[in-house]
Amino acid sequence: MSGASKHTRGASPNDPLVVVCAGGGGVGKTTTSAALALALARGGRSTLIVTIDPARRLAGAMGVPITDAVSRVPLASAKGRLSALMPDPRRSLRTFIEHLFEEEPEARARVLANRLYVGLADAAAGVHELVAMNLVAHAAARGEFEVIVIDTAPSRHAIDFVTYPERLATLLGGRTVAWLSNLAARGGAAPVERPAGGILSWGAGHLEGVIARVTGPTLVSDTASLFGDLAIVRERFVSLTERASRLLLGDRAAYALVAAPTAAARDDVLYLTKRLEALGRTPRAIVMNRADATPAPYLRALREGRGVPESVRDAASALEQESASRKAAADALCAELAKRLKKVPQIRLPYVESATPDGTVAALSEAIEGHVEALLPP
Amino acid sequence: MTSSALPHALRTPPRSLAPALLVMGKGGVGKTTVAASLAVLDAETHGAAVLVEFGDGESGQRALAGSHKHVAHVVIKPAEALQRGAAPLFGSATVAKLALDNFAMRPLLLAAPAIRELAMLEAVRQVVAEHPGVRVVVDMPATGHGVAWLRVPKQGRDFLGAGPLFEMCDRVGRELLSPGRASIVVVTLPERLVIEETLELCDALAREVGLPADRVVVNRVPLPMAPNALADARALAAGGGALGEAARSLVGALEAREAAGAEATAALEALTLKEHAIWRVPLAPVDPSARDVARWLRGEGAA
Repeated sequence: MSGASKHTRGASPNDPLVVVCAGGGGVGKTTTSAALALALARGGRSTLIVTIDPARRLAGAMGVPITDAVSRVPLASAKGRLSALMPDPRRSLRTFIEHLFEEEPEARARVLANRLYVGLADAAAGVHELVAMNLVAHAAARGEFEVIVIDTAPSRHAIDFVTYPERLATLLGGRTVAWLSNLAARGGAAPVERPAGGILSWGAGHLEGVIARVTGPTLVSDTASLFGDLAIVRERFVSLTERASRLLLGDRAAYALVAAPTAAARDDVLYLTKRLEALGRTPRAIVMNRADATPAPYLRALREGRGVPESVRDAASALEQESASRKAAADALCAELAKRLKKVPQIRLPYVESATPDGTVAALSEAIEGHVEALLPP
Repeated sequence: MTSSALPHALRTPPRSLAPALLVMGKGGVGKTTVAASLAVLDAETHGAAVLVEFGDGESGQRALAGSHKHVAHVVIKPAEALQRGAAPLFGSATVAKLALDNFAMRPLLLAAPAIRELAMLEAVRQVVAEHPGVRVVVDMPATGHGVAWLRVPKQGRDFLGAGPLFEMCDRVGRELLSPGRASIVVVTLPERLVIEETLELCDALAREVGLPADRVVVNRVPLPMAPNALADARALAAGGGALGEAARSLVGALEAREAAGAEATAALEALTLKEHAIWRVPLAPVDPSARDVARWLRGEGAA
């Protein structure tokens, strides 16, 4: 869907720069996003890291609670200002409904009591993103952040919700809502006999009768009621979505596609690039994790050194081999991506081994430091 | 690398597995590769297996690459599953198509996603019924969503009370989602917080779906280094010169591994304390193929 481009205008020069980190699961996206944010903060930019799908391990390591509020991240060095926003996905739907129906308490009560309400949480997979992005927009409006790094959910479809406004316009349009209430009204109707002339000879209303019979009266009436209530707040729904889209698709946003040397990550990068193109955007860079350049020289020194115990030599040579196989996999994938996505620059980061998650973030942030400008919007 | 190189884990005598294996786990834990490898393992052992995937079929195809001679790969697409599941309800495929294409059915399907998920589970039920005596391995959606799927038939029965949809819920519940019909395989990583989430998942499955996890596959278990390496490296690091410097770097790397290993051991203990039957797959520097994982799982007694 390409229509979201009309929501991309309107970024003001005072808005913060936004780096959206996207990619599939298991590529180190959350750690990379945190490392980038840390590097930006250390470089003197007031930075906010937003984790859409908070990894409790990382939140714990950064000393940040998983809540809807912005928290300051304690930094070891005195320089730099880093804040974090890690909203809890389990609270999102309720927050969303409360925002949406702020001025419509009766409709809100009806929606919260609707039996489909819980099902909606899974249906509108973008609800959490929408809530999170509105929290981000709120934080951005405070004017204290120069850069916002957004770690999207580990899914190819993490940014699909930007196309909601158009879909909603159709879904919550008067025609649909009227049809649903009509259907609900006849929910108890007797089964419709199949007419002799076949389905083509059916008059208007036959199909509705069949649908009502098959789905049953409860499902239809609950849906009709839910959509009737959502239609009341349609404008508000669309404006919430547009605000989120502006942040994500505006001129001040850049996309970093995070990958690792696996076939799954390659396919995710190709898919996301296509998806971004459909939204009128090109990725700013591909960040290839676990892409060792050469095995660390200390390993060779130990393998070849005189008087080095055999156990140490073996360990060094095992690590060397692991590094070499990571390098080979990364070389092959980078070459393929360079050929297929000629215009997208690549940033290679080495595999980082640390005993703690914050140690990993710190080590990776040193590796990413030199690439910060290449990841920020131009 | 063989599985005997892995640290020993206590294991409860595993229950035998049902014809359908539902593979679950959170995103990024290697669920698809494990699902593909279980299908490969069954195909190698019994001559045939089916791997079921939802969506575009790309990831299962990739995971199976080069090892799928006797694995039938079935891709269930939501739209097709809906039409197929709806045909008997509406009396004919044409009426079903008319109804599903109706402009206002879309909000109904969006508001009640359970209908789509029920249709996909019904499609799985059909695949299992069409392949008697053959193991069907299902690559389920990532954790939260996966449990929500499996709850659908029971919720549907309670919510609808009667009618054609009710009957479909009932059939899927009886013929697919009951002990003896399907076994749950949960994939996880040997990290403390990931294991905590896994235990929550197992609990939810037993309580809300009535299907306790039959196996937990712990993926990417770090292999122990030679027992003396760290102590010897520390001794060397105490010395000066370039070699001492190099040894200090190695100590850092080995300490990180040891910490990961200790966490993995604790994680495995947490699982065995809850009496989960475990299969372990070692951490490899590069993502392993389904065939490699199948070989490791065979070593764990999975065949």
